[in-house]
Amino acid sequence: MSSDFEAYEQDFGTLTAEITNKIGRIPKLAGEEKTQLVLNVDKQLEEVRELLEQMDLEVREIPIQSRGMYNSRLKSYKQEMEKLEKDFKRSRIAYSDEVRNELLGDDGSSSESQRAHLLDNTEKLERSSRRLEAGYQIAVETEQVGQEILTNLHSDREKIQRSRDRLRETDANLGKSSRILTGMLRRIIQNRILVFILGAIILLTIILAIYFNLRGH
Amino acid sequence: MDYSGKEKEAMAIMAEADKKMKTSHSLFGSFFGSSSKVEEACDLYVRAANMFKMAKNWNAAGDAFCKAAQLHLQVQSKHNAAVNFLDAGNAFKKADPQEGISCFCQAIDIYSDMGRFNIAAKQHISIAEIYESELLDIDKAIAHYEQAADYYKGEESTSAANKCLLKVATYAAQMEQYQKATEIFEQIGTYSMDTTLLKYGAKDHFFKAALCHFCVDMLNCKLAVQKYEEMYPAFSDARECKLLKKLLDAHEEQNIDAYADAVREFDSITRLDQWQTTMLLRIKKTIQDEENDLR
Repeated sequence: MSSDFEAYEQDFGTLTAEITNKIGRIPKLAGEEKTQLVLNVDKQLEEVRELLEQMDLEVREIPIQSRGMYNSRLKSYKQEMEKLEKDFKRSRIAYSDEVRNELLGDDGSSSESQRAHLLDNTEKLERSSRRLEAGYQIAVETEQVGQEILTNLHSDREKIQRSRDRLRETDANLGKSSRILTGMLRRIIQNRILVFILGAIILLTIILAIYFNLRGH
Repeated sequence: MDYSGKEKEAMAIMAEADKKMKTSHSLFGSFFGSSSKVEEACDLYVRAANMFKMAKNWNAAGDAFCKAAQLHLQVQSKHNAAVNFLDAGNAFKKADPQEGISCFCQAIDIYSDMGRFNIAAKQHISIAEIYESELLDIDKAIAHYEQAADYYKGEESTSAANKCLLKVATYAAQMEQYQKATEIFEQIGTYSMDTTLLKYGAKDHFFKAALCHFCVDMLNCKLAVQKYEEMYPAFSDARECKLLKKLLDAHEEQNIDAYADAVREFDSITRLDQWQTTMLLRIKKTIQDEENDLR
């Protein structure tokens, strides 16, 4: 039983090695060979799946105490298989390096292009850090301007408050002065009436005096 | 603009006003309607002065305004007199600063007599500005700014008072009166801390106060920085505070290069203004002096 399991394990190992090898080769090929290899890998994956199923059955027959280790091994094999399947799928649609080189013109000097790439990156970094600093400067300047504006606002607020108070005082004073003026007007009218009355009395007295004088004669 | 024509007109009006004044001094005039004559003469003087201003003949304009002001004093209309003295002062400011200052002083006397301290304080500031810019007499300027600040404090306009006090403190620090400067800066700083509008300016004031402390003595500065941090927690976040700490360290180690580096770093982000650069230079010199002493 366990020896069966180990035999299965060995088969599994060889098959997966072969499959990885073929998967590595698939992108580099094209056309007939590629389809052939793809079919091959497909068949081998089927075999691997069957192997796993049999390993599963074996594990179930083993007594429970020692099942744990085999279970974990089985899980890892299953994960490996899934990874192989994913790689396989990707490799079918992947373009190999050689095809790429054919399209873009054979460079051959990959290390130099890497260096240029790195220099480019450093320059970009420097540029962005310079921009960040400029942005920070502008932010600080804005803060200073804002602070000045706030101080101005504070002093303006005081001025406005003072003017408002003074306005209220002026208003009260104006009210008082208008009352005084009406008082003055009233008194003027009173005086004038008095003057007229007195004038009338004096006139009357003069007329009476003349009248009595004439009557006396 | 026909300036010369205006000037001639102005001179004619002045002559007329002078004649009016002479006639009103006769006995007859002083009994009847002398006041109206004087008022008319005042108006004429003011008109003439305005025309001189148009012709840009500041001296003559100032003279005319002064004459009008004195006439107003004679008839006891203080307000008008003070206003005319102000105009005279402004006119003289452009031509003959000394005369302008005397006119302003007269105006200040009248205004403080009347109890209008706000306006008097404003005139003190104008005088101080003249001393600052034209006559370059910093001591007198400081004196006037202080007077203005006192008047403003008396009238409860704290922000205007603070503005004047700031100027006083800046000049005092320049003249090496560090004690006064630190007191004023701290006072303003504590005041600004409390108002919502001004609290963003408070760190600036504390920074200046700390610089003044530094010019006196390094230990002072350390204590001061700690005190400010306690009072105003946001101060420790400010870049100025970090700069101060770096400068303190550099000073302790007597390391000029570290000092210069820290200052340069700060300068790259915000330019240091003239006053701050002077202060920092003085502090740097003390480091150099101490280094020389040690050698």
